[in-house]
Amino acid sequence: MHFITRLILLPLLLASGALMAQQRYTISGEIRDAGNGETLIGATVTVKDLGIGATTNEYGFYSLTLPAADSVLLEFSYVGYQTELRSVSLQKPLMLNMELSSGIQMEEVVVKANSFREKARSVEMSVEEIKAADVKLLPVLLGESDILKALQLKPGIPSGSEGTTGLFVRGGGADQNLILLDEAVVYNASHLFGFFSTFNTDAVKDLKLYKGGFPAQYGGRLSSVIDVKLKEGNSKKWAATGGIGLIASRLTVEGPIQKDKASFMVSGRRTYFDLITRGINASNKDNAEYSPIPDYFFYDLNTKINYQLGERDHLYVSGYFGRDVFGFDGDFFDFNFNWGNATGTVRWNHVFNPRLFANTTFTFSDYQYNISNKLTGFTFDLGSSIRDAALKTDFFYAVNPRHTLRFGGGLTSHYFKVGRLKAGNQDGSISFSSGQDFDGLEGAVYVADELDLSEKTKLNSGLRFSGFTNGDRFYANVEPRVALRHTLTDRLTAKASYARMFQYLHLVANAGISLPTDIWYPSTDRVPPQRSDQVAVGLSYLLGNQYLLTLEGYHKYLHNQIEFVDGARLFANNNLEDEFAIGQGRSTGLEFSIEKETGKLKGWIGYTLAFARRSDFETLSPDRPFAQQTPFRPIYDRRHDVSIVAFYELSRKISLSATWVYGSGDLRWMPSGRFTFQDVEGGSFQAVVPDYLDRNTYRLPAYHRLDLGMVLKFFPRKGESDLTFNIINAYDRRNTFFIYLEPEFNTVTDAFGNSFEVPKRIAAKQVSLFPILPSITYNFKF
Amino acid sequence: MIRTHIFTAIRFMAWLAPLALALSACNLEKEINIELPEYETRPSLECYLEPGKPFSLLLTKTAPYFEDFPTLDDDFLQNILEDSATVVIRHKGQEYPLQNQFFFNPFSGKLYNYFSSVPVPEDFDHDFELNIVTKTGKTITATTRLLRTVPIDSVVVQFPADDTLARVLTYFTDDRSQTNFYRRMIHQSTLDSIPLQDFALDDRFSETARFVFGTNYEFAEGDTIINTLFHISRDYYDYFDSVQTAFFSNGNPFGQPSPINSNLGGTANAIGIFTGLSYDRVTTIVRR
Repeated sequence: MHFITRLILLPLLLASGALMAQQRYTISGEIRDAGNGETLIGATVTVKDLGIGATTNEYGFYSLTLPAADSVLLEFSYVGYQTELRSVSLQKPLMLNMELSSGIQMEEVVVKANSFREKARSVEMSVEEIKAADVKLLPVLLGESDILKALQLKPGIPSGSEGTTGLFVRGGGADQNLILLDEAVVYNASHLFGFFSTFNTDAVKDLKLYKGGFPAQYGGRLSSVIDVKLKEGNSKKWAATGGIGLIASRLTVEGPIQKDKASFMVSGRRTYFDLITRGINASNKDNAEYSPIPDYFFYDLNTKINYQLGERDHLYVSGYFGRDVFGFDGDFFDFNFNWGNATGTVRWNHVFNPRLFANTTFTFSDYQYNISNKLTGFTFDLGSSIRDAALKTDFFYAVNPRHTLRFGGGLTSHYFKVGRLKAGNQDGSISFSSGQDFDGLEGAVYVADELDLSEKTKLNSGLRFSGFTNGDRFYANVEPRVALRHTLTDRLTAKASYARMFQYLHLVANAGISLPTDIWYPSTDRVPPQRSDQVAVGLSYLLGNQYLLTLEGYHKYLHNQIEFVDGARLFANNNLEDEFAIGQGRSTGLEFSIEKETGKLKGWIGYTLAFARRSDFETLSPDRPFAQQTPFRPIYDRRHDVSIVAFYELSRKISLSATWVYGSGDLRWMPSGRFTFQDVEGGSFQAVVPDYLDRNTYRLPAYHRLDLGMVLKFFPRKGESDLTFNIINAYDRRNTFFIYLEPEFNTVTDAFGNSFEVPKRIAAKQVSLFPILPSITYNFKF
Repeated sequence: MIRTHIFTAIRFMAWLAPLALALSACNLEKEINIELPEYETRPSLECYLEPGKPFSLLLTKTAPYFEDFPTLDDDFLQNILEDSATVVIRHKGQEYPLQNQFFFNPFSGKLYNYFSSVPVPEDFDHDFELNIVTKTGKTITATTRLLRTVPIDSVVVQFPADDTLARVLTYFTDDRSQTNFYRRMIHQSTLDSIPLQDFALDDRFSETARFVFGTNYEFAEGDTIINTLFHISRDYYDYFDSVQTAFFSNGNPFGQPSPINSNLGGTANAIGIFTGLSYDRVTTIVRR
């Protein structure tokens, strides 16, 4: 039997023995915030005397099985919350829900030190977590706090272009991130070409990103899983939060529908560029020379309702709808371009018994873009979409305090419309069309096991069986997952993990920025699923009670990677697969971080050393066979990345923050040579046509930037408010947004007095996105 | 309460907005120096066979991208032209040697450095083969065939009822029995002006045999409009498309760079195109 398979099955065999142990009873329940009733993810309940404990899962549920006793002292704790102690008599199974109060300053140091200890001892590695509250303290572009941009400050997660939300995790591509919003897939998590993410920080409760060591319940993307949970809504009292910024305003309202039983949350956000541009257009209405500015705005809406059906059942319904809208209505044409996501989640939590918890979820996800243009007598419509309906169930079984089983499965139905073009005249005598429709069915079952092999060693193992079919071809694959933690000393922990992932959907995108016209494309007979095998090893060291040092190394093999052949035609192409080249990739890296979460000064320093390669794309350059086997580096092969993030609480009213980031420049495919193109009669003579050879051989200048922030809090009689001041790019560094190449000409006069221009040289011009840029946002909460 | 919050915010923003705008007006562009890997110069070729017109061919040299352009002194042509090559075109067993001499076509305004006064035979059924040996002994080879002209069916000028500017619609009929490639050009006044439209396309997405190209409402009464429809080969389509893509990616940082798709073989690693040229051209005076 394969070694990995044996390793994975071992805990399952051990589980059967554990079930036959002495008389034990289980305490289970939910741990919630006493202030708003939100479930707390990762809160711990421990029995100090026995040295055992449990942690709430992502649904706030815990289960702890203990030997029968007349009195057991339970300690409930969570980062930033007051620890609660409960003494209970354990002579039968017990359901015990607990509420913890936040904001107890004196306890914070102790609790956070414990949280570092928990983090160091956790089997999970390659995980980054961000709380929405922390994101709001970070200085951000134009005052719009953004949870995805905050993630880019963590080691191993370089961003895409300047100011955008693209993530290139551990040498992976932008399409290799599984982004989940309340368990529904978000296919394009960006507004305005990636400058803002679709996540409204006010509506987000928690975000967790896995870079490696993926738990078996996740699959479908190679490089990361970003799991975003929306707030459930305040079940204690009505509350509103909001903000007014330079470009957008937002408002979130939440409150109980039935106190402690049902609550809701509604959150909306909208930009107002269009209100300004419409005003400018209206004021120039009579100016014949004036070219109107097109309308642009984006908005998004998050809602969530949760209802406690009984002691054992809880129902959650949530949804997201967002659109970017670009419109231009001229005298003879009407151009509209809109794109966006819609997601919906219906989730049912059921406690079968104190040790068995189930979560069943139905999700709906839709991403689409539509471009329509009406000219007198003619119409043009282009669009693509991907639509999913998915059903999955996850079971959590607490075998004993040292052993947890998790298993489940799910099925997703995909429907793709790829490059659907329709154009023609009104009477139908002229008609163009292109595009393809695909169906796809993706399924997976998994089992995952968390087992304490000894006091010092813990093993998480899992197997995931995944499959995909689009009718013509069926792919089935096994994805083993293993993670091991060994405590070397009280302060030093070693970790290792291995994960195989498969990806059945691929993004057809060829620019360095996120474009709404990027198309999702399924695996087919000619396009095999992508696969990754990632090995990671790491050390965590607790320095004093305030600092956590983490060092991780990884190596990732990427199979069946997709690049576009030279000169690929991606627009309105019914044979897109002809434009794909399939090859291999690998990436290696070392990530270091030091975190401090206590005291007046908090923050982290992260450093990443990384290498990424792509190779063996046999059909990449049909006209240049000599180039086909050449390994090349992807544009985001960034050698060094440094981030320093600091928060300083100056007083109760004023807190300061600063971030400094440094990254080696990205790579670009620059022309190696040039030639002149004379063309035929009527064609334009081009003095400079680039001759592109090898890909991505030029590295852009290094990127670095300092951002500063200050939050000035006010405490009116009711509620609270603050003014958030940000200075982006505080020392006015001109970082590269893009480079363009511009020929320069000399004017020459011939013997007949005619003047003409001859090229002199080509200049490379660097364009930066923003200089030093201050902003202010007003936020309120009551 | 919300009103109080909003008014507070607006007051602050009104104060800060001019400052933000002033700072945003900073110059965000600067020239940088770019070091590229060493580049080996290679030949670049353009040869368009037009039935009834003389054989003519332009053979130049590529240059490292950031190298200064040669000045207009005596060495100028030597620096950009690939001279002293042996150029032969074969057709149906007949050889057409092209001499290394300048030929300037006064009608098209185009210059060639290899020329034969013998006209290109009008034969749509047999290949033309190109063989070049450069002065360093390297070879360039290519094969092509002439295509028949696809005529423009009609050119329609449309004026809106309440405007003085018209648009022009150009119709032609596509042969649905085969895949065809076209290049469409439209000029105003003269052919040596910059074309208003110039692009290549194929007929794969058309559901009807009838094609139309349109323009904006931009032509006044009396304007001269020149429509040209080239019927081109797949090789020429690929080459022209890659040249255009490469050219536009030069100025567009978000464009996809494109190596040049040539139909040339041989040891010289040359880029370029050897193709037949057939087109229909219609000149229209805009009348209401």
